[in-house]
Amino acid sequence: MQFVFLMEQVVNGLVLGGYYLLIALGLSLIFSVGGIVNLSHGAFYALGAYISIEIAKVFGFAGGAVLSPVIVGLLGILFERFILRRFYRADPILSLLVTFGLAMVGEQLIRIIWGAAPIPVSLPQDLKGPVFIGDFLFSKYRLFLLGVVIVVLTGIWMLLNKTSFGRVVRAGIQQPDMVAALGIRLQPYMTTVIVLGVAIAALGGALFAPITIVHPAMGAEIITVAFVVVIIGGLGSFWGVILAALLVGVVRGVTIYFYPAAGAASIYVLMFLVLMFRPRGLLGERIEKFE
Amino acid sequence: MKTTLLQKYQPLWIGVAVMVVLPVLLPMIGLTVNTASVVVILAIAAIGLNLLVGYTGLHSFGHSMWFGMGAYAAALAQRNLFADQIILPILLSMVFVAAMALVIGMLILRRRGVYFALLTLALVALSYTIAFRWTEVTGGEDGLGNLVRGTLGPIDLDDSINYYAFISVVAVLVLFFMIRLLRSPFGHVLVAIRENQERAAFQGYDIQRYKLISYVLSAVITGLAGALSGFEHYLVSAETTSVAFSGELLAMVVIGGMNNILGPAIGVMFYILFREMFSIWTGNWLLWFGLIFVAFVLYSPGGIAGIWGQIRNKLRPAPEETAAMSRRKIYDGLPLPGFLRPEPRSGPVLQVEAIDKSFGGYKAVNQVSLTVDSGQIHALIGPNGAGKTTTFNLISGMFPPDGGAVRLNGNPIEGLSANRIAEKGLARSFQITNLFEGVSIYENLRLSIQAKHTCRYNSWRDIDSYDDVHEHTEELTKFLGLEGIEDINGGDLSYGGQRLVDLGIALASKPQILLLDEPLAGLAAAERERVSSLVRRMAENIPVLIVEHDLDRVLSLSHEVTVMNQGEVLMTGGPEAVRADKHVQEIYTGTGTPPVTGRVAGLDAAAKPLLVIEGINTFYGKSHILNDATLNIRKGEIVALLGRNGAGKSTLLKSLAGLVPPKTGSIRFDGQELVGLSAPDIARAGVGYVPQGRGIFSGMSVGDNLALGRLARSTDGDGAVVWSEEKILDMFPRLKERYHTAADYLSGGEQQMLAVARALSGNVKLLLLDEPFEGLAPAIVEELFTVFDKLRQELPILIVEHNLDLVLALSDRVFALERGAVFHEGPAEALLTDIDYRKEILWL
Repeated sequence: MQFVFLMEQVVNGLVLGGYYLLIALGLSLIFSVGGIVNLSHGAFYALGAYISIEIAKVFGFAGGAVLSPVIVGLLGILFERFILRRFYRADPILSLLVTFGLAMVGEQLIRIIWGAAPIPVSLPQDLKGPVFIGDFLFSKYRLFLLGVVIVVLTGIWMLLNKTSFGRVVRAGIQQPDMVAALGIRLQPYMTTVIVLGVAIAALGGALFAPITIVHPAMGAEIITVAFVVVIIGGLGSFWGVILAALLVGVVRGVTIYFYPAAGAASIYVLMFLVLMFRPRGLLGERIEKFE
Repeated sequence: MKTTLLQKYQPLWIGVAVMVVLPVLLPMIGLTVNTASVVVILAIAAIGLNLLVGYTGLHSFGHSMWFGMGAYAAALAQRNLFADQIILPILLSMVFVAAMALVIGMLILRRRGVYFALLTLALVALSYTIAFRWTEVTGGEDGLGNLVRGTLGPIDLDDSINYYAFISVVAVLVLFFMIRLLRSPFGHVLVAIRENQERAAFQGYDIQRYKLISYVLSAVITGLAGALSGFEHYLVSAETTSVAFSGELLAMVVIGGMNNILGPAIGVMFYILFREMFSIWTGNWLLWFGLIFVAFVLYSPGGIAGIWGQIRNKLRPAPEETAAMSRRKIYDGLPLPGFLRPEPRSGPVLQVEAIDKSFGGYKAVNQVSLTVDSGQIHALIGPNGAGKTTTFNLISGMFPPDGGAVRLNGNPIEGLSANRIAEKGLARSFQITNLFEGVSIYENLRLSIQAKHTCRYNSWRDIDSYDDVHEHTEELTKFLGLEGIEDINGGDLSYGGQRLVDLGIALASKPQILLLDEPLAGLAAAERERVSSLVRRMAENIPVLIVEHDLDRVLSLSHEVTVMNQGEVLMTGGPEAVRADKHVQEIYTGTGTPPVTGRVAGLDAAAKPLLVIEGINTFYGKSHILNDATLNIRKGEIVALLGRNGAGKSTLLKSLAGLVPPKTGSIRFDGQELVGLSAPDIARAGVGYVPQGRGIFSGMSVGDNLALGRLARSTDGDGAVVWSEEKILDMFPRLKERYHTAADYLSGGEQQMLAVARALSGNVKLLLLDEPFEGLAPAIVEELFTVFDKLRQELPILIVEHNLDLVLALSDRVFALERGAVFHEGPAEALLTDIDYRKEILWL
């Protein structure tokens, strides 16, 4: 039975990894195209959760999960236009400071609008209860989340690798000047990617609201973990982020099983171990600007 | 140089004055003495953080970790070891924080920039979860309460005004220490590291050690504030080490001003007053504080303390840079200052033996050997990509050679770190100006002199008390001809001035040998003459190894010349021998027998020009690259752009393509003005550009690469040019076969074809080629040559290529550039066949 429990922790860890992944992937995308480390990403995630709760009051859970990323994405357009765009070619430390301040502002806004107390969110009726797979007992909702994460990942991967949109984005990351010399204006592509990044974070907020605590500081809490994931995976690497998110999720899940109090600490220890041996993360490449 | 105690300790006097009036003023606006204590405590913490952020340039997002750690350590010490005492727990806590900071600093200071910032962020998150969850030790959610302030002799610290006085005394000590530190040689090195870490290393500073010491000191000061804060509240809780508090601390530093010693304290005042005042009116004060923080980062990076300077700059802008250069006093013919002369010696000073370096599979430097004897100027010449700068980098320790040996005065130095090599007496200048932009010229030079002084780790004595350092700096300033403008910041200087300072920084570190990388590049004629004579005078005492593209000058300057080509040494000899050598001439001017022929001259002087460039001027930062360049291209011809390295050929192509827009001048293309258009608009107007190195998008197939060429440019045949995919693939049948292959797996020649094909995709009417034959096998060269020859019928081509035989055989007309201006134009034929004429125009 010990093994079964452990396996459950591993699967829960994978779900947890998927949760980190939705935040970390957007961070990594924004980082790749703009060279910007967006510390306010957590605020978009939190907004996603709160807005989905509001929408769910009228349109139900599904409505919230779909519309909230759209609304946050629209905010992302403003965010890109008025803030990030000034920093594409600047010292990344400046964008770090500005987005840090914005994260503070975002958290306070949430506090003002929705109050400081945690808001309980119930699971949607259809997704309640457990599922048995062989000997294993899983929560239906967690499996659903795993499914959604896989769909989102596949979608992003397809978009980046199988469409001309993705080709321009990848070419732009490699050689922005060459892309311009082929007559392509990169700006709208960058805006789109950044909007996509914050929308995924909002989707994460909406979907994970029922199984986490929705409170104003939720963004600040997730952002450090998300950065740990991105650092472990390597700044700017798609597969690195996936690998690291799953690794972090599983390590945390297993640590919690053996020694609950050290759950949060375990991922930081993991990060230090990785950085000792791979200074740029598991799959990271050297990027001069960030050294 | 004379500073009175009043000026020197000005921040201290201001600090004391404020601390005296604070407990009087605050109660007048309804606040308490306790608030005054909190202000002083946070000010200590923020000043500690600013040592790292403002002075060392390391952005810690996690300093509340040290604040919290100091608080917990003091609390635990009082509970477990020194009951009812306050001084001993605080001291023990400082020792503990120092030890922890040393260990953690060693780990995280290996990374810098964004990585460092993110690591500190992760660390503070870690320390928070430890404080919050390790209940047995930290008290978990409840924290550690019931701390005792106790008494100091007859003074009862439980009285809030007494405790305030106690904290204030500590703050005065901290401020005094900070002033001493920042005025000391050590403090000046920290600023140098902030400004330009790489350069500081090449001056001989062990930057890792300086950063580590700075990190530990910063942590200890912030930790001390944490300990004081614990006794202030009689309680230590996990909140003191939260991420949010870290951010607030950083925000205080940024808002107050990180370039000023008291800036962070101003930020703290602002924060506390803001909190106390606003929280009466609204619970949302943090929202407004955050917005103010963002506004400061966006609009006033110097913070409140910097606003005054910003206003002053607006009212009275700094004088123009060129004007600044004219203020200097030049003393011609000064001898090298005595303190810079190494002990006279004879024989070899620098011996480089068979060093190698590969990047990926590419051998950048292959078995290079050279020897520089004392009293010599040794020139290292060769075409672009010959490996000259890489050789410099290997010798000076930028990166280690893969093999071979380097000896300085007989001692091996290969593989040592840059600062160790600099310490042993090898100094270098940089091809791309590399100085401390935010500090004065004087300070730039002084830092180098200090690097060789025994005081370089001294963190207590005032730098102004070292008379010898200052005398030497003044002497050197005079020698370089920079006297009169010492106070100007390095970054405000004109390009020529910066080159001179760069040279001075290298010279100032009292080297046994000096490596100069293109010291004359970008200088005006008179200045070239002056710098050359400076180099000559330096070389009387210090041997010089010099890379320079001005062949005339460098050959007349040097005693010995080593010629490199394609990573290898071609020959070593005297300047006359090199000038006369056939192989050397060939690498610069070619043989006169083209490897490929078959040109159909399309000369038609009557044809209407498609492109007319008139008087364009282009800059990279301060460096003036294109200087009134003027040329034109007609339909049906191939035009070659010739000139030495750094003459501005590639820049001209980039200016045309809109990638480095010209500042002035006009480019008329097919009836349209291109100056002022963005690169994408120019590409859509029909200009196809193939960069040096090809610019292939890796990870994508040939077809994908081609598709990107057509994505934004119309293919409707407007302008009578239709480059459909079939037509392009007919032109390049090899690409058809490789259509689905990833571009990374193509051979060099195929990649070049792909780059050309991609540039043509769309309604392209003019093709720009930058070094299209570079690194290709002869058979491939021939194939490409034929393709370009055929393309002439379809559209005109502007080509930059260093292989003269090839490019002259291909082109109809040439324009030759020198220092960004066209100095020769004419048909290619004469230059192709008449090798003497070619040498006259293009060689020396």
